[in-house]
Amino acid sequence: MLGVVVAYSALAGDRLVALVTSIGCAGLLLTALALAGRWATLLPWGFVGVGAGYALFLSLRGGTVDARAPILAATFFVAAELSFWSIEGRSWRSEREVLVRRVALLFSAGLATAIVGGLLLLVASGRRGGIGYEAAGVAGAVLTLALITWLGRTEDR
Amino acid sequence: MTRSASPKLGAYAGLAALGLLAALALRLPELVLFAAPFALVAGVAALQVRAPRIDVEVDLAHERTLEGDLLDISIRFDPSDAAERVDVLLELPPGLEVEEGTNPATLRLSKGDERVLQLGLRCVRWGAYRVGRVHLRAHDPFGVFKHETAIDRRQALKVYPTQEAVRSLLRPAETQVFSGNHVARQKAEGIEFADIRQFVAGDRIKHVNWRATARRGELWVNEHHAERNADVVIFLDVFAEARRGGRSTLDPALRAAASLAARYLRQRDRVGFVSFGGTINWLLPATGARQLYRIVDAMLDTQIILSHAWRDLVVIPRRTLPPQALVLALTPLLDDRAVTALLDLRARGFDLVVIEISPIAFVSRPRGEIQEVADRLWRLRRDAVRGRFERAGVPVAVWNDESSLAAALEEVGASRRRARTSRV
Repeated sequence: MLGVVVAYSALAGDRLVALVTSIGCAGLLLTALALAGRWATLLPWGFVGVGAGYALFLSLRGGTVDARAPILAATFFVAAELSFWSIEGRSWRSEREVLVRRVALLFSAGLATAIVGGLLLLVASGRRGGIGYEAAGVAGAVLTLALITWLGRTEDR
Repeated sequence: MTRSASPKLGAYAGLAALGLLAALALRLPELVLFAAPFALVAGVAALQVRAPRIDVEVDLAHERTLEGDLLDISIRFDPSDAAERVDVLLELPPGLEVEEGTNPATLRLSKGDERVLQLGLRCVRWGAYRVGRVHLRAHDPFGVFKHETAIDRRQALKVYPTQEAVRSLLRPAETQVFSGNHVARQKAEGIEFADIRQFVAGDRIKHVNWRATARRGELWVNEHHAERNADVVIFLDVFAEARRGGRSTLDPALRAAASLAARYLRQRDRVGFVSFGGTINWLLPATGARQLYRIVDAMLDTQIILSHAWRDLVVIPRRTLPPQALVLALTPLLDDRAVTALLDLRARGFDLVVIEISPIAFVSRPRGEIQEVADRLWRLRRDAVRGRFERAGVPVAVWNDESSLAAALEEVGASRRRARTSRV
């Protein structure tokens, strides 16, 4: 599924295609390596590579926003979820109900990403940016990271 | 419950932050779409994280079972909170294997909805176990956080060894004073005819041998052998064992011990038990079904504990080995301390029989010239040990995979009968 993002970046772009493809393929290679070796710490770097290839494609593209971005974002998210699922290292079979609900949740999340992403893109394309929005964005990103790190620590209850 | 974050949390948080920053830096709103789902999943999971309260009960179908039997076990979950995915692992000791059901299993638990997980356990090996420690690992819907705990609902499970087929038991050389099933040498009230003698005052009319009386012209009566019980001590050598995979020489030894104890107790003999090795365990001879359970329970605690300390018969309480008892030794003949103790027993006048649990089948085939020489030397040394017993008048029967316990007992019985005849 990540290959779809890389392939789209390579095929839809017209400038520095080789560089975009190389970065995307490097990401794919890292992901494959992480999946084969079940290295959870390496896995995000593969996604970063694929994302970087797409970001480079977008920055070289210029002009209007990419209308296919919501679909690609959903594909990217589902691919990430499936990758983490595959390295969970569970050797036993889950109950049928659990499996069905998990698959349903995954694809619902993908679908929601595509739909909400499309709407957001539509709203965002009509607005103009500013220093306030950028500062709020940076602060939001840093705060999210801090909150997640704090909540994610191991604790005994 | 112990809470921990999966590697996904860090990865998603990193991807979200990187994506958002890149979107701002490069002024690409599309990248926000890439970062948003990761931020949303990590953020929602982090805000909603809580340990689910799940009560667990474990029920065993039986507290006692036989080696090789299938035991039903049910794990009952009573969740106070819903849990999307719960990994359940019932901790099992070696000797118990899951044959029906899945262990570990992943379940979904709804709030207040009781669930039961059924498992069928095959009791592969005898032993005293404690079963019921359940490990739970609850995941949130996206698997970002997990809560782990171990719930201890252990219950005692006794798996008794299966019994070996035994056709006839060894007759003890001496009997005791209580009534039983062995024909004693002494003449007294009984069924087995012994001799005839002249009538004396006090003899009962029913004992008059009318044919002898008619022939001799005076009253003669029949004499009978008394039916008495005997003392039997099962002596288990637990100094060393030969082991291959899950099998060991201790397994057939225990099966034989349990079978012999059951059979002797059934014919009203007093049976005692001595496990002689790194640790020493004993039971005074007694009769009845309760003694059988005591012996089998004592056997279940038997294990090979490596010890280099010298041990002899002094450490065994004197009452455990009553005089004139038949001592049935079950030994792989692997440790000199056991051999010396058994020869010492014989020297003290005990009626001793050795059943050798052959370790040959547990030894891998020698490879190379040196190993072959070592193997031959080892076998010769075992023959020499057997020779020592034979010279001391102790019959030794070898019990291996190719023969049955009944055959080994027959061999010993025949040898004892021959010895008795030659003594006469």
